[in-house]
Amino acid sequence: MTLIKSVIDWIDVRVGIREIAEKELTGYLLPRNINAWYSMGSILLFAFALQVVTGMLLLIYYVPDAEKAFKSVTAIMNDVPYGWLIRMLHAVGSNMMVLVLLLHMISVLFMGSYKKPRELNWVTGFILLSMIQGISLTGYLLPWSQLSFWATTVATNSANAIPVLGPYLVEFLRGSPLVGPPTLGRFFALHVAVIPAGIAAMIAAHLFFLKRTGVSTPPFGQQDTLNQWRGESYTHENHPGGIPFFPDFALEDLRSIAIYMAIFLAVVFFDPYLFFPKDAFIPANAFVTPAHIKPEWYFLANYQTLKIFPNELIGLSLQGAAMTFLALLPFIDRGRERHPLKRPLFMICSVGGLLLWIGLSIWGHLS
Amino acid sequence: MDTSSRRTFLAVCLGGLGSIATAAVAWPLFRYLSPRSGSGTSGKVVIPDAEVREGEAKFFEYAGSSAVLIRKRGGELIALSAVCTHLGCIVQWEKDKQDFLCPCHGGHYSADGAVTAGPPPKPLIKLPFTVFGGNITVG
Repeated sequence: MTLIKSVIDWIDVRVGIREIAEKELTGYLLPRNINAWYSMGSILLFAFALQVVTGMLLLIYYVPDAEKAFKSVTAIMNDVPYGWLIRMLHAVGSNMMVLVLLLHMISVLFMGSYKKPRELNWVTGFILLSMIQGISLTGYLLPWSQLSFWATTVATNSANAIPVLGPYLVEFLRGSPLVGPPTLGRFFALHVAVIPAGIAAMIAAHLFFLKRTGVSTPPFGQQDTLNQWRGESYTHENHPGGIPFFPDFALEDLRSIAIYMAIFLAVVFFDPYLFFPKDAFIPANAFVTPAHIKPEWYFLANYQTLKIFPNELIGLSLQGAAMTFLALLPFIDRGRERHPLKRPLFMICSVGGLLLWIGLSIWGHLS
Repeated sequence: MDTSSRRTFLAVCLGGLGSIATAAVAWPLFRYLSPRSGSGTSGKVVIPDAEVREGEAKFFEYAGSSAVLIRKRGGELIALSAVCTHLGCIVQWEKDKQDFLCPCHGGHYSADGAVTAGPPPKPLIKLPFTVFGGNITVG
């Protein structure tokens, strides 16, 4: 203990580490009525870090070559010691991360935390959602299985519906007229370098906005649930008499991460192929399209929407409109009320939208 | 139980659990990153006798590394590791001089693998081989 204290003292006299710890950890106060939903961001940070680490480990054995990719993934699963574990943590982890991201978004929606002055938090969060979808889509191709190949064919093909530019855009995305070795090269670069760098930058921006604006107060258990910010000048939302981030809420975060890990590892160990249809175990064959090829669960609603509308452009435009509406929500919903039960129109729209999304996803799964 | 002993007890429990968790993560990671046994080509390598002409050398992959077969002028066969004993570069056969040169730091070896000049501290490693039915089996 004396040695640790000496090391801390040594650093402290040079960079004032105790002052930072006091300001950012023990002296960083959070609202007293804060709840477990506020841990979703910490879980996401942890999940993303795990994806980065397992992804780096997979890079040791994965070969981004159309001739060798499937074989290298099979070798990781069957020959490399604990390779199955690393790959399953990565593959299942991506699905779990999307799930937590959606829960994070829903909690922000229902607690009205997206409202001014937190529009930038919402917008950066929404960009993060889009980038996570992008990294999932590009990662899907890498094992070069029948599922990878045909799901990517269908996904990239949907850009064809865009008038005039569509066919060019499809070829640009694929790097060739059809999905093939050039597509693997592009998607690999996007998956391991371009999108992760973008995500890291956007996480930094998201946290910066969070720190500058301050944590929002949950609207539950309070008399006055109106948004107090009037927009005259910059103010940091302080919480005098609140609970310290460290150790109090850091332990709450740790508990939430432990619960997340328990659920995550239960899937990895007891139902690892939950997210893997049988086509994921067959090498890609450009001449044989499997029946009923479907995207990941979180794209099922998009997939079903495209199927419902005979005109692809209408289906794509509707999805674009819905996404734009969601991205710009803080600029559209400008009411001061934050409590969900005092916002009936919001409740009807959000619960209805959520049920529609779930319904379309189930329909897409069963169709 | 007073507060300090309760704290100590909890600290020991947490430390123990933390150690188990660390080991549970570290062991698979170590195994995943460890070189796999038998990852290099192992076992025997068979080369047709006719492929190694008098005064010439035949390089080949052996046990995940490089090796060389030499038929000296006069017909004597020798099998050696082609890895220089200085810093691990692959030696080259100099047909005119009937010796080995390591291009990295100018080490010289005789056709038998003995050091004749330069920095190599040891001779090239000799490999066992047999000749049967027109084939040379190394290993």
